[in-house]
Amino acid sequence: MTANAKRTGPLSRLYAKFGISGPVTPVLLAAAIGVPWLPGEFWTHVGTEVLILGLFAMSFNLLYGYMGQISFGHAAFFGVGAYATAMLFTALKGADGQIGVADFLLSLLVGPPVAALTALFVGFFCVRLTGIYFAILTLAFGELLFYIVFSWYSFTKGDDGIQGLLPPPFFQDSTNFYFFTLAIVVVAAAAMWRITESPFGYAMRTLRDNQRRAAFLGTNVRAHMLANFVIAGAFAGVAGALWGPFSRSVNPTLLGWGESGIAVFMTLIGGAGSFIGPMLGSVIYTMLQAVVKMYTVYWPLTIGTIILLIVLFAPGGILGMIDKRVQATRARDGAAEAEAAAAARAEAPRP
Amino acid sequence: MSPNILEVTGLEKHFGGVHVTCNINFTMQEGEQAAIIGPNGAGKSTFMNLLTGYHRPDAGKVMFAGREITGLPPHRVVRRGISRAFQVSSIFARMTVRENVRAAVQAQMRATFRLFASGHSLGAEETERVLAMCGLAGKRDLVAGELAQGDKKRLELAIALAGKPRLLFLDEPTAGMSIDEARSTMELVDRLNRELTLTVLFTEHDMGIVFNHARRLTLLHRGEIILEGTPGEVRADATAQKIYLGEHHL
Repeated sequence: MTANAKRTGPLSRLYAKFGISGPVTPVLLAAAIGVPWLPGEFWTHVGTEVLILGLFAMSFNLLYGYMGQISFGHAAFFGVGAYATAMLFTALKGADGQIGVADFLLSLLVGPPVAALTALFVGFFCVRLTGIYFAILTLAFGELLFYIVFSWYSFTKGDDGIQGLLPPPFFQDSTNFYFFTLAIVVVAAAAMWRITESPFGYAMRTLRDNQRRAAFLGTNVRAHMLANFVIAGAFAGVAGALWGPFSRSVNPTLLGWGESGIAVFMTLIGGAGSFIGPMLGSVIYTMLQAVVKMYTVYWPLTIGTIILLIVLFAPGGILGMIDKRVQATRARDGAAEAEAAAAARAEAPRP
Repeated sequence: MSPNILEVTGLEKHFGGVHVTCNINFTMQEGEQAAIIGPNGAGKSTFMNLLTGYHRPDAGKVMFAGREITGLPPHRVVRRGISRAFQVSSIFARMTVRENVRAAVQAQMRATFRLFASGHSLGAEETERVLAMCGLAGKRDLVAGELAQGDKKRLELAIALAGKPRLLFLDEPTAGMSIDEARSTMELVDRLNRELTLTVLFTEHDMGIVFNHARRLTLLHRGEIILEGTPGEVRADATAQKIYLGEHHL
């Protein structure tokens, strides 16, 4: 009876239809909408960072969770998107440092296509390889792009970075900017969801599980990998575009392997096997970082320990662990129910 | 007489110093059902790999339905109308049975670049048809990697059939199956061959299956064709007895 009641609840129905992302996503979204009502600006600020980096991690998971290739250079597209936006932003803003709303939005729009074009170039080489070779080549390209941005002073301002990215007055309010970011992240995530549930998304899963066989279905393996690489780069570019106006500046480390590692960490924490996992990973990673840094300088030690525990004891991440539990419970309930039904049939008087 | 759907001339392949395919000439007519037999290491799988683009031949020519396919990559060979099922089942282990077949159906429809179509409904009817045909309808929601060996092989066949091939290569289609499963699988292959004039070439170690289901046999030994003929002719041949059939107590 209880099993039955449990199974007809709204979250349970969402689980049946969408997997573990089904019930988790509305909970996360409700929490996200509530964040600005927390006292003080601090958590709104942290919440914005959670959303932007979560989107970045979700774009990374298009490669890792869906296509089965790990990239250690994904931040290159996040950073290139951030720089494209920052440079256009700087060119469009007035002598007084102010930028109009239309110009601000235009500068945001330029990030994703520039990131996508960069991904097209980098991906052209990377999709020729798989596994560790793919990972190393993405790392190499990431560091190459980092170094170009770092040392090309006349164009990118090198290690000074670009400062003074102050958005128009309406967006300077942290709550307004938060909801603006939330809207963009929700739309981007919806688009990514649609793609992962399309024939293209399922073709990605065939590449993840068995590339040789996928080719024998008639799938052009490299062309599909390249398309996905560009899509992932474009969404990383959306996150990057938001970063500059959020932090009021960009700098070369946004392209570096440390930043790429953040996407990997978030995905491992939340769970690569589910669509929303990397966003949950960002919630945990970013909020924990905000809290830990208040008390200690030992943040790398803290996150290192957490990753160690996750990899050892919950290799599917937090959602992977929960999903396993839910599946086991549902299987047990299903078996118990079948047994009860059989018993009822046996007890029923025969006609 | 039906035209040749497959014509192989002078096919050669070396791996390092090993000559695994020596000057193979081979033809198949549309609607034929034939088998390749031979001891382990005779080059049966390599031959199929050469025909489907998994390996590039060093020399020779492969014509399919009047057009040359020599050296084309697998995905382009497949798009011409050739499917294959692998000896060791080669499925998509983390996807469900239904997702496995549906992905194959969508690839056949050339829909895999459709980013915003529904991956669930596109080709769903065809997917159900293939699942029912292969006796997998009741197992559609199981994760493929957790299937029993016989069911994996059936899924392997289902994936190949979802490609709507004109020519189907089966590499030991009944390996790992129970006697009943093997019989129903080969009955399905016979039916497809009869009703859809699907051309089938298979390899098999079970001589009972070979003699019952192939109308022509090709005996391969050390990369060379030793003998071609009807099951009766091959059974009666002294060389075939010595090289291969002797092992099988006929």
